[in-house]
Amino acid sequence: MMKDDPNPVRSVAENPCNMCMPLGAIIPFKGIENCMVIIHGSQGCATYMRRHMAEHFNEPVDIASSSITERGTIYGGEANLKHGLNNLIQLYQPAVVGILSTCLAETIGEDIVRIAGVFQEEQAGSETPAMIPVPTPGYGGSHFEGYFLALTGIVTALAQPTRRHDRINVLVPHISPADVREIKRLLELMQVQYTLLPDVSATLDAPYTQIYRKIPAGGTVPADIAAMPGARATIQFGATVEDELSPGKYLEINHGVPLYNLSLPMGIVACDRFLNLLETLTGNEIPKQLLDERGRLLDAMVDAHKYNREGRAVVFGEPEMVYALGQVLAENGITPVILATGSKSPRLKELLLDLTADNDEEPLILIDSDFAQIRKHCADKRINLAIGNSDGRILTEKDGIPLVRMGFPVHDRIGGQRILTVGYTGTTQLLDLITNTLLANKLKHYRENMYAKHFPFQPKTIMFKGEVSDDGQF
Amino acid sequence: MKDHLSRIVDKYPANIFKNRKEHIVLVDHDSENPQTITANTRTIPGIITSRGCCYAGCKGVVIGPIKDAITITHGPIGCGYYSWATRRNKARLEEGETDNYLNYCFSTDLQEGDIVFGGEKKLKRAIKEVVEIFHPQNIMICSTCPVGLIGDDINAVAAWAEQEFHIKVLAFSCEGYKGVTQSAGHHIANNGLIKNVVGTGNTVTGKYSVNLLGEYNIGGDSWEIERVLTRIGYEVVSVMTGNGSIAKIKNAHLANLNLVQCYRSINYIAEMIQTKYGTDWLKVNFIGVQSCIESLRDMARYFDDPVLIARTEEVIAEELDEIMPVINHYQPLCVGKTAALFVGGSRALHYQYLFQDLGMETVLAGFEFAHRDDYEGSEVIPFIKEDADSKNIETLHLEPDEKHYRLVLSREKYETLKKQIPLNYFGGMIKVMKNNSVVIDDINHYEIDEFLKLLKPDIFCAGIKEKYQIHKSGVFSKQLHSYDYTGPYAGFKGAAAFARDIALGLTAPVWNMIRPPWKTEPMLEGSLIKEVI
Ligand code: SF4
Repeated sequence: MMKDDPNPVRSVAENPCNMCMPLGAIIPFKGIENCMVIIHGSQGCATYMRRHMAEHFNEPVDIASSSITERGTIYGGEANLKHGLNNLIQLYQPAVVGILSTCLAETIGEDIVRIAGVFQEEQAGSETPAMIPVPTPGYGGSHFEGYFLALTGIVTALAQPTRRHDRINVLVPHISPADVREIKRLLELMQVQYTLLPDVSATLDAPYTQIYRKIPAGGTVPADIAAMPGARATIQFGATVEDELSPGKYLEINHGVPLYNLSLPMGIVACDRFLNLLETLTGNEIPKQLLDERGRLLDAMVDAHKYNREGRAVVFGEPEMVYALGQVLAENGITPVILATGSKSPRLKELLLDLTADNDEEPLILIDSDFAQIRKHCADKRINLAIGNSDGRILTEKDGIPLVRMGFPVHDRIGGQRILTVGYTGTTQLLDLITNTLLANKLKHYRENMYAKHFPFQPKTIMFKGEVSDDGQF
Repeated sequence: MKDHLSRIVDKYPANIFKNRKEHIVLVDHDSENPQTITANTRTIPGIITSRGCCYAGCKGVVIGPIKDAITITHGPIGCGYYSWATRRNKARLEEGETDNYLNYCFSTDLQEGDIVFGGEKKLKRAIKEVVEIFHPQNIMICSTCPVGLIGDDINAVAAWAEQEFHIKVLAFSCEGYKGVTQSAGHHIANNGLIKNVVGTGNTVTGKYSVNLLGEYNIGGDSWEIERVLTRIGYEVVSVMTGNGSIAKIKNAHLANLNLVQCYRSINYIAEMIQTKYGTDWLKVNFIGVQSCIESLRDMARYFDDPVLIARTEEVIAEELDEIMPVINHYQPLCVGKTAALFVGGSRALHYQYLFQDLGMETVLAGFEFAHRDDYEGSEVIPFIKEDADSKNIETLHLEPDEKHYRLVLSREKYETLKKQIPLNYFGGMIKVMKNNSVVIDDINHYEIDEFLKLLKPDIFCAGIKEKYQIHKSGVFSKQLHSYDYTGPYAGFKGAAAFARDIALGLTAPVWNMIRPPWKTEPMLEGSLIKEVI
């Protein structure tokens, strides 16, 4: 172990900052209309992922399993998967079935692509749903890679050569249903015809209705996905996504759809870039309503800058979110002290280095990290703000650093599905939350700090780690 | 009712129909022979089950709550992550204790290369790293699916680490695919604790010493139970495993009676301690006011000391004085309502007693990973056919321990007592349910939907996977795995907390603003009219 390497190779992951591949792969399927997912493996994987997603989204999340047992590990699980597909289709009548694999299936060498093919052949004559197998061994990568692998798999499987049409493809990363709704609202205000994928805005945040539907309404229509190759352009919010995992790249290379790969529209610059692009592509002007929203965000930034400049932040989560947040911090004078992700994302590192090249204080960028490492580096850095998923609560509990919860998972608070952070309006909300968190933390310890400052020779009062006094000193 | 039931399963394809109808029983105490049910068989693939895996039963349920051991999940990142601090099994350091690792998650985070070339080396390095950072006295290793398949020998690694670092290192081969549910993992965990922990301590225990088995301290349950037991004068030697520790579990063989709360997850240990050390076990239920009273009286009877018996009554009376005003305050809001319960292995039975205290009837109950004895009682065990899946889980054959085997009761006394209290016996669920109620094993997503419509319960208690489906159907759901961030619900004070939570849940204003489609009375309109008048 190199002594000064901030990111040393370790064999134990302590308090991980990422999940496994199939979990990420489920989410895009949940954003397709009338779609069910089956996971080929031991039923525990599906059960764990259901419980985890249900807790975050506060919604039923139903995922089938092929329930391989010890026998299957010896004789193969093909019969289980086919049997499972059959049952799932009969009971739910989905239009699309996502088939994912797990560590178990991949280790015993199950080929879900082949099995799906055989199943469809055997069912020839009767109407079967579209089947989209995506091999996702849990050890193959984090949920972030799983997400884009599935998204690319969906596009690859459903896209058909299509005559040019006027729509624009919009591919979104793992963001909240509220964020998806907001992006749709922006597109509609810009009068854009679009196909947004995956559309989890209703499927993972369904309104209460009189009748409960086992497959929730909403989601991207499969026929629209099929027509994606004919679109005028693809806008993909996937700045950190590697090319081989990029569905936008796939459409560009195979179907010649021009790709605009942007970062999530959070903050003035990123939102402007998105809306300007829409303006260029459609020739439609940005409506007054959006200009007003932009103005309100600017107003909020002006009002808050004096508090935000005291912010020293640690940010963690999925690469796309970390990058977008990095930009919001930069715009608001909050110092990004540590930027971390549990995924292996070389591209994120490059982007963040670029973004922070002119910073006074060089941020620490942690890739493939865990919370033990993040915590260790938080010590002695006078950090007073954490932003990321709720596993970061350990920073609050142990080090007194307040946490702004966003991303996935948020499992110790309600409403993960409604956290809004994109667009001018979403950014304004997020910024208020950040500023108020800084203010609350400051006011909580204000007296102690003043006392310590003006009576330095008195017996020391208790100081909280992560607390910054007026002049930026402890 | 029978017709309705068959209509539900009728919708199934033929093969599922055949399978599922054997997992559903309409209780009929007048039937000639005792009713039987199929349980602990393979899950139907593709049906949306709530069952988990062997790893979840071992790491998540039984050994996870042990606070003075670092548990390393040997496998890819997912399994360890998903079982990280998700069960609300609470723990705190008590006097003299130094180690509590429950907030941590450790995983070897196996990568593709490790799967190809083997993960033992990485596991060894991981152990070394945690030893260097935390200096734990105990480490537990739990394998996940791929580990067994790539042939990593975690037992050998554990033996190596014990030598190398002079600490206790336990290995649990609880790969997810073993068995058919979490239950296999309970068994593996029980075996590991008996083989390597119980019996290795020598702290002297008193006359009224007990172990509390199958109590996981969700929301502080075992603290409340221990409070009452200690007040009466019992010494709780160990709890398995809520707020539990290796340091205490190793003395478990020296207690004079084992109390079994969750039978499913811990019956193996109870049985094995009995075989090896002669200690009897008593089936208790500390959920519910009446059942608490009964369990405490059964315990007193077992030890049969007039002072203890008197003290028991005294404590019961004092506790009741404190909680009954609360329960009486909330009970009127609950009386006459109906409940459905679907929880792991015992809660779906235990909570029926608590609902009874509140004047509520249970119309449906089922377990996620139970065996036939959980439904039909331990008398059915000799008749349960062993299948390939259960055979794969090792059964330990133990001999009486030369030094520590002893019987607390004389044989005559034992025989008499056995007729009066559930000694080394568990009656199961079916016997306590009313005629025409539904007992259902491994209920799934589709069936929950159907039964909600059919039985129209006022409350459906289950876990988080079911909770939102139930809410979306307009029915109050209470999580009985995590208690929705409240609790404790065990013991006397727990019953009062439960009464409050249920009453307030049933009468939450939101229910008046939404109307489940099958509730015929127009609630919202009704209340509006009342207000106008
Ligand atoms: S890491 Fe592998 S075995 Fe574990 S939950 Fe994920 S897919 Fe399943």
